[in-house]
Formats: sequence, C-alpha cells, structure tokens
Amino acid sequence: MKNTQQVTLFILIGLTLLTAGAANLFADKTAFLPLIIMGIAAIKFLLVAFQFMELKKAHRFWKILTTVVGVSLAFLIGILA
Amino acid sequence: MLWIIIFLELGTFGLGLVGLAYYGTLTPALFHDARLHLNTLLGTINTLVLLISGYTMASAVEAFRSGSNTKAKGLMKITLIGGALFLALKSYEYYEKLGSGLEMWDNMFYTFYWLLTGFHLVHVVVGMVILAYMSFKINAVKSPTDALDLESGAAFWHMCDLIWLLLFPSLYLIF
Repeated sequence: MKNTQQVTLFILIGLTLLTAGAANLFADKTAFLPLIIMGIAAIKFLLVAFQFMELKKAHRFWKILTTVVGVSLAFLIGILA
Repeated sequence: MLWIIIFLELGTFGLGLVGLAYYGTLTPALFHDARLHLNTLLGTINTLVLLISGYTMASAVEAFRSGSNTKAKGLMKITLIGGALFLALKSYEYYEKLGSGLEMWDNMFYTFYWLLTGFHLVHVVVGMVILAYMSFKINAVKSPTDALDLESGAAFWHMCDLIWLLLFPSLYLIF
C-alpha cells in the first residue's frame, strides 16, 4: 500500500513536469497539445482520486461518477481550448 | 454526505473551467497573451507541493489506522506545512500580478483567474483549519478524532488537489 502510494506520487510528479515542459516547448507547434495536456490532467485526477483519496474503496456509484466527471471535464476543456 | 459536497464543489469549479475554455474560444489571442503573463514555474511548484501534501495526508490516514497516532500527527503537520507553502507561493503570485496591474476586471481571462484561484485558495485555507483541528485533537482524551473524522478531513484535502489538477493546466498551460 505504502509502496503503491509512493509510486503514484512519483508518476504524478513526472506527469506534472512533463506537461509543464511540453506546454512551454511545443505551445505553438501542435493544435492537439491542449487535448494531450488535459488528457494527462485527467490521468492525474484519477490517480489522486483512486490512490490518495481511496476512491477504490468507495461504492461503485462514486467510482463511476468521479471517473465520468473528471474525464469529461478534462476532455471538454481540452476540446474547447 | 461528504461525497455529495465533493461533487457539488467539483461541479461548481467544473462549470467555471468550462466557462473559461468557452470564452477562450471567443478571444484566443487575448487568452494566449494573458496566459503568458502567468508564472508557470510557480504554478508547477504549487502543483508539486499539493501533490506531496496529498501523499503525506494519505500516509497520515494509513498511520492512524495502524494505531500510530504520533506518526499520523507528524505527517499531518507536514501536510499543513505544504498547505502553508502553497498559500505563501500563491500570495507572492497575487502580489506580483497586482504589482503588474493585472487585476480582476482587466479582461475575461483574469476575471476567471482571480475567481477560480481565489475560490480554490479559500478551500485550501478551510482544509488547513480542518487538518489543524484534527491534528490537535488526535491524542485528546475527551472526544478524540476517530478514523472517519480523519478520512473525511483527508477527503476534503484531496478534493483541493483534484480541483487544482484541473485548474493548473486550464489556466497556466493550454491557452
């Protein structure tokens, strides 16, 4: 459990640095960048919800609702931007 | 009940973020220029601070469940230091923005920036008050903190994380 949370933290840190770097390096080079960045944000959202917030122990209803809300919000923002 | 509150909060911030993205499509050049005035480095550091404090809070809950109250209290204090660091960096960022004359009514981007980050900051402060109270009561003889209290406080703290994980890229990275 402890090990899983540590691995999750390292993945989250890595993804944060990756998106911050990519946003500055490739800002004007690809139209899909906002969608990619928001896709990674959705992955981070789910990692925090399931691993740190212990959503994995919650009722299936909350698991599905959190996943749908987090992913749809990130997708919608990524598409609009 | 807590999950309902969390979803109401997520919904409120979600609507704000969709509004930000929608207005971004109407004036893309303005949003791009405004975004370039934000300090991405500070935003990234704040994201890392919140992620690490989320990890220490999750570890505090685990320590409390295994009966190690002292360890849990120590980890909660580290979480609170993370929260204080977030507040300090955010205050510096606000000071920088106000110094540059970038206020709420300058343009639509900054209206969203001040409203969304300000509302989030209030949540971080509330989360810190909850965690400080629980950390204080963790070893109390009368009405001590129980596992459900701690899990609820931790869930509120993680909710601040979740909101920031969508706020940070929306404001600092994608426009």
